[in-house]
Amino acid sequence: METVLTTHFADERYRGIDGYRGKGGYGALRKCVSMPREAIVEEVKKANLRGRGGAGFPAGVKWGFLPKDLSRPRVLVVNADEGEPGTFKDRLILSHGPHLLLEGIAIACYALSIHRAYIYIRGEYAREARILEEAMEEARAAGFLGKDVLGTGFDLEVTLHRGAGAYICGEETSTINSLEGKRGWPRLKPPFPAVVGAFGLPTLVNNVETLCNVPWILENGGERFAALGCEKNGGTRLVGVSGPVVRPGIYELPANANLKNVIFDVAGGLRDGKALKAVIPGGSSTPVLRADEIDVTFDIETMAKAGTMAGTCGVIVIPEGTCMVRALSVLMNFYAHESCGQCTPCREGTGWLKLVVGRIEAGQGRPGDVELVLDVCDNMAGKTICALADAAVMPAQSFIGKFRGEFDRHIAEGKCPFGNRF
Amino acid sequence: MSFSLSEEGLAELDRLLSRYPDRAAAVLPALHLVQSEHGHVPDEAIAWVAERVGLSPAHVEGVATFYTLFERRPRGRHHLQICRNLSCSLMGAEALVAHVSAKLGIRPGETTPDGMFTLSVVECLGSCGTAPVMQVGDAYHENLTVEAVDALIDRLRAEG
Amino acid sequence: MPNLTINGVAVSVPEGTTILSAAKQVGIHIPHYCYHTHLSVAGNCRMCQVEVEKFPKLQTACSTVATEGMVVRTDTEAVRKAVRGALEFLLIHHPIDCPICDQAGECGLQDYYMTVGLHKSRYPLGDKIHKKKVQDAGSGIVLDAERCILCSRCVRFLEEVTGTRELQFFRRGDHSEISFFPGRPIDNHYAGNLADICPVGALTSRDFRFRCRVWFLKSAESICTGCARGCNIEAHFHEGVLYRYKPRVNDAVNRAWMCDFGRMEYRKANEARLLAPFVRENGVEKEMPWGALMPQVAQRLSDAVRTHGADTVAVIASPQLSNEELFLVRHFASDLLGTMNLAFTRRAPEDGFSDDFLIHPDKNPNSAGARLLGIPGEEAFHAVAGRISRGEIRALVIFGNVLGAFSEKGTLELLSKAPFIVQVGTNEGVVSRAAHAVLPSASFVERGGTFVNCDGRLQRFRAGFAPRGKARNTIEILVDLGNRLGAGWSFSGEESVFRALSRSEAPFRGMTYGSIGSLGREVKR
Ligand SMILES: Cc1cc2nc3c(=O)[nH]c(=O)nc-3n(C[C@H](O)[C@H](O)[C@H](O)COP(=O)(O)O)c2cc1C
Ligand code: SF4
Ligand code: SF4
Ligand code: FES
Ligand code: FES
Repeated sequence: METVLTTHFADERYRGIDGYRGKGGYGALRKCVSMPREAIVEEVKKANLRGRGGAGFPAGVKWGFLPKDLSRPRVLVVNADEGEPGTFKDRLILSHGPHLLLEGIAIACYALSIHRAYIYIRGEYAREARILEEAMEEARAAGFLGKDVLGTGFDLEVTLHRGAGAYICGEETSTINSLEGKRGWPRLKPPFPAVVGAFGLPTLVNNVETLCNVPWILENGGERFAALGCEKNGGTRLVGVSGPVVRPGIYELPANANLKNVIFDVAGGLRDGKALKAVIPGGSSTPVLRADEIDVTFDIETMAKAGTMAGTCGVIVIPEGTCMVRALSVLMNFYAHESCGQCTPCREGTGWLKLVVGRIEAGQGRPGDVELVLDVCDNMAGKTICALADAAVMPAQSFIGKFRGEFDRHIAEGKCPFGNRF
Repeated sequence: MSFSLSEEGLAELDRLLSRYPDRAAAVLPALHLVQSEHGHVPDEAIAWVAERVGLSPAHVEGVATFYTLFERRPRGRHHLQICRNLSCSLMGAEALVAHVSAKLGIRPGETTPDGMFTLSVVECLGSCGTAPVMQVGDAYHENLTVEAVDALIDRLRAEG
Repeated sequence: MPNLTINGVAVSVPEGTTILSAAKQVGIHIPHYCYHTHLSVAGNCRMCQVEVEKFPKLQTACSTVATEGMVVRTDTEAVRKAVRGALEFLLIHHPIDCPICDQAGECGLQDYYMTVGLHKSRYPLGDKIHKKKVQDAGSGIVLDAERCILCSRCVRFLEEVTGTRELQFFRRGDHSEISFFPGRPIDNHYAGNLADICPVGALTSRDFRFRCRVWFLKSAESICTGCARGCNIEAHFHEGVLYRYKPRVNDAVNRAWMCDFGRMEYRKANEARLLAPFVRENGVEKEMPWGALMPQVAQRLSDAVRTHGADTVAVIASPQLSNEELFLVRHFASDLLGTMNLAFTRRAPEDGFSDDFLIHPDKNPNSAGARLLGIPGEEAFHAVAGRISRGEIRALVIFGNVLGAFSEKGTLELLSKAPFIVQVGTNEGVVSRAAHAVLPSASFVERGGTFVNCDGRLQRFRAGFAPRGKARNTIEILVDLGNRLGAGWSFSGEESVFRALSRSEAPFRGMTYGSIGSLGREVKR
């Protein structure tokens, strides 16, 4: 199968600029600077590239949202805040192909006349930040970034901005506030970042993986890229498999790979003869699937039909024997910990869900607690400033919806039937 | 004001300030600098940073306490941060926390009396495919086992 | 002008109007905590959610702009559930200490709890998160973080209005807590507004705390007398006691705010008041009924004019007086006494503290009015003072409590040169200690009238209650005294005086109380 992103990741030297250039790196950028800018955007539209940050918004369309008039400078914010549990693909790119990202940034900025890019990288990725800084240094020295890119007169300053421990800062308007030195509170929309974004300027926010596809698209053509994927989503996806499988890790697969194959063929199935109980297909926020529901492909319609989402393609494999109440409790702790606290239903709701799911798991649940959880979910869902509340509600509703019996047993028996362990 | 950064730190901060159209944007980088030099962010540093970026201490404190990586109080020399999100839990993170806890005689959130180790449980570190994972300082330790964590702790203790 | 319907009621609003304000126009109240007319829109409390046709989710009325053809409903079950849900969320960690909360009676939580209707608590008491209780937050503000509903109004106020940013949320999620940095409490001259905008009892005014339960308070539209800005205010009172001032919205003057100095002006209506007329004979004060005193005063004044000439009487006016009062004072001096010795002096010798927002250096509410009415200010006053000090003035009428241009000692020295002094004033002070006849007048909440502010805006203030003690309305005193000197005035009440004033004084020509309204209007210049 043809790969777009990871083709050379096994080669250590690919991380450095010479290794990268040795594989044809920065060729796409060179090609782009002699193309009309609209033609570059056109190619990305043709590629049918969708955002890889989780929401799956068509990249070409988003690029087109930036105002046509160039009188106000515009900004690119690269979202490298990767924090959705089960997701670890951007980290792979950052550590193995930093120049791939820089080339993607340079092309996007050139095409959209952006002179200022900020890479917002989560604070924990200290090693990856160092790798990126080095790569940026190299790229500047080689004339791919900085003043007068490739002698075209086009200037591009790229700044690495480290986050400091907050999942919510991956939400694009929170990213922007955090970049501006504020608390990472998401903003009310409208206005959308394309109109009023970082520092009040029109801003494009794209995920790391999204941008890394851009050099390949420009080198090989949008149509070829589109053909690698499926009708509504061109190219490949970096599918991350975690949990007790034989070969956990990131796999670059067509955008419509089959979830069951991913787990049982690509990742080698479960370890130690374990049986499969459930799968979270696209990062912790996506609704869970039972073992018998996983014969689905990652394309948008199929996932929607199955009642879930491809999200970040972070596949979490849950084996038989796992207490689903405990698993949910872990996730509820996470969302309560990560709620920015700005809007009422999320701030209080995530904490309440953590409390009630926690007490059910601890064997202290009361009759009616499951209904209470669902009612709290209902008072949160779709009623907040950003999607974090929904991200907490979806696992809660789906875990209860699909494993209701386990919740009821916890309450009826006054203890965890699994012994309060995973 | 009693607080300041080292010469190099100050130079770095000046460089940082020039990178943003607005000084306020340098709050996070400035706090990172403070923490890298002092191990945590002392009270005086909050007021100092506020002055540097032209904001109020309350604003900077609001920012510093929003983000979990900024330590407002001194911690142990080595900060053991074990991920306990779902993928890591499925791979034995809970047992690992219990083991380290017993070995060091402290619960998560506590520091050993000799000030050597602080143990924390943290959320997903973006390393789920190599779970369970522990971050110590800047470094990730992946695919951890009880043996590996023992060896690591012993090494860190020997290093002092 | 988009046309929309809200609960079936058609309304047409200017472009850019939010659903929340559109609803208000047709009398539909949409619950809200974080929204404030004069702060940026935060959209965080989620109390204002409404149903909008064609939108899959509920929308926040405070942040959603009305568009043509919009169909809004605030009365559906989905809306009720969402609002009830939001309120329930807000209350889960709330201490519910209403019986000892000073906000009781004007608390947003209490208000909506009643209207939205909540069942009994589904959140265990023992799991409530505790935060810092009563703290001195500086500038007269008391902070109780446990009662805070994190609406961010205070944070936005300190960012957008004062720019001082003393308050911020610390930590995040349900551990978020409103606070100030240790050792750096609130420190600005507009802090009182924080207690006004906080929808709950988290930020309260130390000055007002526990002094009066708010449901007893009545209110009168007034104008702050603290400086020449003339901030629009409400005066809150109960049984003849003025308890506090609150700003009243006027976008042309003070928007929704007032300064802390002005806010404390209310005290003058309560403290050291002159409550009964008296005379001072050989240094001894002797109370005397109005009926006995007024003829004596009139007699002394006309005697002085008759015996020594009009040049030997003087009238010192005050820019604390209303236009109506000043108008009569001017007639009283020039027509009845026939003297040219008329001037006003201010509260303080020099201009006071000012800033680039509301606080004006002139600490008087009506200097502009006095000038427009042809009463000369400081320079003329010094000329008059010169005559007094040279012993040329035989009878002196002073309106007000101090002669701002002089120190206390200087004032006493000056006044010792005048054989007969009448004071018309509200408060004890250096003048009342020197005057031979003291005529106690109504304070600014006990009388009504108009002022002209520093920008030439004519604004009206209204009486809240009758003058305390035996004090009388200044207009009444002037008419009484004037008629004893042959004026033949039939004025009763400030409006009748204003009618005369607006006929004869060019800057006010054609104006009526009706046309001034509650927001005032510019005078002609
Ligand atoms: C709670 C929350 C967390 C998010 N975290 C991330 C993240 O860590 N990385 C990311 O790229 N996008 C994240 N997103 C999605 C971003 O808001 C945004 O859609 C994305 O960065 C756009 O880039 P794309 O169009 O290239 O995917 C998050 C969204 C939400 C609601
Ligand atoms: S939904 Fe949650 S995370 Fe998003 S803005 Fe509201 S409180 Fe913050
Ligand atoms: S203190 Fe009052 S105004 Fe400030 S956030 Fe809390 S409730 Fe709102
Ligand atoms: S769950 Fe532990 S690193 Fe992601
Ligand atoms: S008033 Fe609209 S969200 Fe608070």
